[in-house]
Formats: sequence, C-alpha cells, structure tokens
Amino acid sequence: MAECITSELELFFSAKTIAIYGASASPNSVGQAIIQNFIKPQYTGKVYAVNPKYDNVLGVPCYPSLQEIPEPIDMVVVAVPARYAPMVFEDIAKKGTKAAIVISGGFSETGERGTELENQIVEIGKKGGIRIIGPNCVGVIDTHTHVDTFFLPEYRCGRPRASNVANISLISQSGAFAAAISDWTSELGLGISKLVSLGNKCDVDDDDLLCFLNDDDSTQVICYYTEGYDPGKGRTFFNIAKKVTSNKPVLVVKSGRGEMAREAAISHTGSLAGSDNVVDAAYKQSGIIRAQNFEEMFDMAKALAMQPPARGDRVLMTTNGGGLGVMTTDALDALGLAMPHPSTDLNQRFGERLPAYCAWGNPCDVVGDSDSSRYEVVFEEAIKSGEYDIFVVGMLLQTPTLGMEITNVISNWQKQSGKPFIAVSQGGAFTRKAGEILELMGVPTYATGEKGALAAWALARYGEIKYSDKFKKTRGSEKP
Amino acid sequence: MKLAKKIFKTALEENRTFVLENEAKDIMKEYGIPIPPYTTAATADEAVIKSKEIGFPVVLKILSKDILHKSDAGGVKLNLKNEEDVRAAFIEIMDNAREFGKKKGIDVDLSRGVFVTEFTEQGTEVIVGVTLDPQFGHALMFGLGGIFVEVLKDVTFRLIPMQEIDAREMVGEIKAVKILEGIRGQPPRDIDALVDIIMKVSKMVDENPEIIELDCNPTFVYEKGKGAAVVDARILIANPDDEK
Repeated sequence: MAECITSELELFFSAKTIAIYGASASPNSVGQAIIQNFIKPQYTGKVYAVNPKYDNVLGVPCYPSLQEIPEPIDMVVVAVPARYAPMVFEDIAKKGTKAAIVISGGFSETGERGTELENQIVEIGKKGGIRIIGPNCVGVIDTHTHVDTFFLPEYRCGRPRASNVANISLISQSGAFAAAISDWTSELGLGISKLVSLGNKCDVDDDDLLCFLNDDDSTQVICYYTEGYDPGKGRTFFNIAKKVTSNKPVLVVKSGRGEMAREAAISHTGSLAGSDNVVDAAYKQSGIIRAQNFEEMFDMAKALAMQPPARGDRVLMTTNGGGLGVMTTDALDALGLAMPHPSTDLNQRFGERLPAYCAWGNPCDVVGDSDSSRYEVVFEEAIKSGEYDIFVVGMLLQTPTLGMEITNVISNWQKQSGKPFIAVSQGGAFTRKAGEILELMGVPTYATGEKGALAAWALARYGEIKYSDKFKKTRGSEKP
Repeated sequence: MKLAKKIFKTALEENRTFVLENEAKDIMKEYGIPIPPYTTAATADEAVIKSKEIGFPVVLKILSKDILHKSDAGGVKLNLKNEEDVRAAFIEIMDNAREFGKKKGIDVDLSRGVFVTEFTEQGTEVIVGVTLDPQFGHALMFGLGGIFVEVLKDVTFRLIPMQEIDAREMVGEIKAVKILEGIRGQPPRDIDALVDIIMKVSKMVDENPEIIELDCNPTFVYEKGKGAAVVDARILIANPDDEK
C-alpha cells in the first residue's frame, strides 16, 4: 500500500525560488507564458530563467544552467523538448532541487522512444530524491502562494481565486480540463485552493495528492477528474480514500464509463462486471462521491465546502413560490431524501404565527406576498422542533414584498442553528446578484431547484459517510 | 487454508485453471458455506450406492478435468428418482462426454466419474460471484438469479474484503429486494443466511487471492429461519505463467 509522505509535495505549492528551464523570449510561446505568471506581483518568491540563448527573459535573469544561479532552487519547471529532459534532470540533481514539474510532452504518451526518456528522468529523479509532476501536463496553480505553471495566458484562461469561507482543490488527469476548470471557476465565485494537472503521472500520482490534500489546511473539499487507473492503482486509491473521506469530502468525475466487453470472462460474474460497476462499488464503499459531470461536481463541492454535513436525511423545503416548491420537492424525493410533514405540534405553531392563507406542509409555502419575517417564523419553529436536518430555501426575489434582508435571515439562521442550508434563487440578473451576496455570507445558492436538491443530497450523503451509523437515516430505514 | 492451496496445485498440475465442483465445494465447506450433501462416484454401481446414501431424488454431473461447461457436454442429469434412473444417467453422461470429446478432438478423462448431490428443494434463486478487476482487484457481486441477472442486470458490487454492513447494503440496494423481503403474501426470505454466505465468500477470496472468478449460481435462499444453500459453484484460478 502506498505510504503517505506528504512533506515532499509541499514544495510544489510553496516554492520560494523557482527556475523555468526553457524560458523563452519569443512571444506566445510556452516558455514565455510560464515566466509571465511568475513576474506578476502576487507571486512573492523569486524566479530565474534557464536557457543558454539569453541573458534575461522579460527582465528575469537567465542562466545557461541551474549551476550558475546564485542561490538554492526549490522547484524547477521544465519546458524543453523531451530529448533534452535527461540532461536537464542531471542538472536538477546536481543543483540539489527536490521538485520538478515537466510541462513538455513527447514522453510515454508518444511511444517507445518517449517511454525511454521518461524512464531516464524517473531514474535520475529517484537517485536525486526529486519528486516529479508530469510530464505532459500543465502543472500547478496555488491560489494562496500564486505558484502558477499553467502556460495559458491569463487573458485567455482566467485563474481561480481563494475564498475566505472554504476552498476546493482539484486534481485532473487531463491538462485541458484543468485549464478549462481554472477558467470556468474564475467566474463561478467558487473558492479554489489548488489545481493540479498530473499528466503521465511518472512519479507523483493520485494517491500522493490525496494524502497531501487530506493534510492541507487550505483544502476543504477534494475533487478529481480521472479517466482510469493503472493496474492495481484503483485499489491503492480506494485504500487511501477510505481513510480520507471521514475527514474531508472527496468527489470524483470518472469518464470512460462505457461497458468494456470482457469476453475473456468465463464466469457469469466476470461477464457482468463491466468495470464501471466495480468503479461505482469502490467509490461507494470508500465514501467517495461520484459526480456525473463537472457541473454536478462543482454544485456539490460548493455545498460541501460552505456548509456542514447533515446529521440526518430530513429536508424542509421553504419557498415563496408554489411551483419552485413542487419542482424542488420532486427532485429531493427522486434523490432519496426524506420530506416529512411537520408534526401536529409544529403545524399548530406555524398556524399561530403565519397568515392562514400560507400552506405550511413540506414544501412549506409562505406564498407570494411574503416578506422575510415569514421565513424567520418557519426557520425558528422548524429548527426548535428538531424535525429537520437540512433546510432548502427557495427565494423568488421577483416579488415586490421580499426584500434583500432575506439573505441576512437565511445566513443568520444557518449560523445560529449549525444546520446545513441551501438556497435556490431562480431568475435573472437581480436574483443572481442576491445569490452572490448570499454566497458571500456562506450559504451556497443555486439557479434551479434540481441543482439545489443535488447539493442537499451531497450534504446528506457526506453526513452518512462522515457520521456512519450516527447519521439519522429515516427514509428506507425499514430495509434490511 | 491448506486445503484450497492443495486443490489449486492439483488443478494447475493437470493444466486446468478451473476447480472441479467437488473441490470448489470442499473449499467452501471449510469456510462454513452451506452446501447440500454431495459426494463423487467413479462407476455406475458406486453412483447408485452413493445416491441411496444421500437419498433420492439426486443430481449427477460429469467430473472431468477436460470439461468446464458441464451442461454443454450433456453432463448434467437432474431429479433422478431411483436406482434405474441413476444407472441410466451415469451411462448417458459418460457417453455424452466421449461424444463431446470426439467433436473437440480430445480424449476426455472420465476417471473421476460423476458428482452426486441432492436434488435440492427450490428456493429464491440468487447469484453470489467474484471477479478480479484489473484496476481495483477482487470484487464481489450479488443479485437475484434468472431474468433479474440475465435481462435486467440487477446486480451490485463491493470490493473484497467486505464488512457486514456492506453485505447488508448490497442486499438492500438491488431493485428486486422486495422479493427477498416478501411480497404478495410470500414470507420473507432468510436474509441473515444470505449475508452470511456473502461474508464467507468474501473471506474465502481474501485468503485465497489465486481465485480470479467465482460463481455461486444458483444459490437458494429459503424462508426466514430456514437458511440458504449454494447449489452450484464454480471457481477459476490464475495461471501463474500468465503473470510473466
């Protein structure tokens, strides 16, 4: 089983002196795009260029090799053609640097010659104690230290930001997806701590980063995009995940779901075990939450990052619009969450404090002329009753009576109760703004009831994973 | 488990990567998996004597290192009610096996004769199986038998080794679970006995990783309190030469 030595990986994210091997003065080149990232003011470490062709690149001092650099180097970013890589690694080993990210392609993904080159750098790395990310990757973004090896100019590919509330880290086998996610999350208002593209995984792999992120204080939710595991590596990932998932949520998007025909299988079981069934089982058993796609993954990750996991599966849907209530309730029900009606007692209390034309059931409809005070009544009484574990709140801000103070009301009751809240704010520009404000206050907000329901499900599922038999499951509990 | 290792060694020496039914059931019995009474018989006379010991009706199945799919070789005879049935079935099975060998161009080994077992009372049919996934290793499968597995593929998986809670979750998450819980006035099935079989298969494979595929198909689950039994068992093992 893979052991967890996470201290070695720290350098990739917090390097204070970085050398860019293959830094280039030609505009629009990879070697230039990378160095541009490190001359931005937010990166506070020192950067050096290595390239025998230049004295400086964009004003950064440039040396023919690492040996001429007048101080120790924490990390080297390698962007030279694959055939020079072994030479570069000899230089890295001699310099005593312990971390290298190989951006260049042309290694094991291309065939025999490339595999040979990759084996050579792995061997030099092993001897010199150098940990390697890549090759054939875009590397690392750390939103706290601003280490950023993505060779994609910022005006083309936005960079995510850290949030003060909670942060997600994402490990991607694919560099293109890592880039797209960087760009996409820069506009989603999601807090991101680290993005890592692993490429060929010649040394640092999924297992290493799972261990590392488990110990990383700036990561609250761990996300993976993976296309498959090398033989046996699914099992090692499973073994580590079993230990991590009670500490932090782990979400995975795994592609390649197609039923791989297993014609060689002689037994019945063998022929039925299209590998995706086994993948599903492994994720479920180790407490990993599998998402169908990135949209789902980030909808769930946002909720898991911002809200506590649920202690049980009972959801109260509160809304000022009947349609939104019904649609959201349908989605919650389809996901297997419990939607119990308020008890007689709670019913009576709602009756005493809400106008008679409200429809308090589940969904609890405070109706279209509601202001935020009716929501207050519902939250106060429902929380006091202890009958619900998760609150899904629909706020249709198109109505004239519902003021922006609803965001305060939701956020305050969430904080006071310690129970997870999910908001649904459906509509155009105005409601989107309200959602953004609510998220700044720490309550994840979604544009549709279905997305909100999935987020609520993720909080319940993670509660079940984290609290195991202490999680109060009411629906389907009559089953064996 | 010493017995399992010995059986695997014999199999590989005979150039087969499947384990004979009596051997598979010997290993399972060692792990406490419930199996209806069985024995083997090399001759027709012996088959008659052993059938009487077990009690009619019985089932005879071909036992040969050269035959993996017994039914395809005409090697299975069910519900044999008396001596004459057994004697005739034995001869027919041997003839079929020779014929099968001729078609395949092999001289089928008949020295082991047949497997003799009770014609077991029908219960709710389920399948418990194991596969070796290249990425994740050994995984156990559970589902209801017949059309549920063939057509609907209503099956569920867990990685081995498992905990009892995993086994109970598996039983609970197939779509046909209601059949086990009892519908339309049917009494509930013995889910505890089923969970026990799943856990024992998990332990058996965990301790014998040479097993690469396994089917307990069918396994019969009876009314609550009346247990369950593995009726047919198949075990395939890795060929150590393949790993090189």
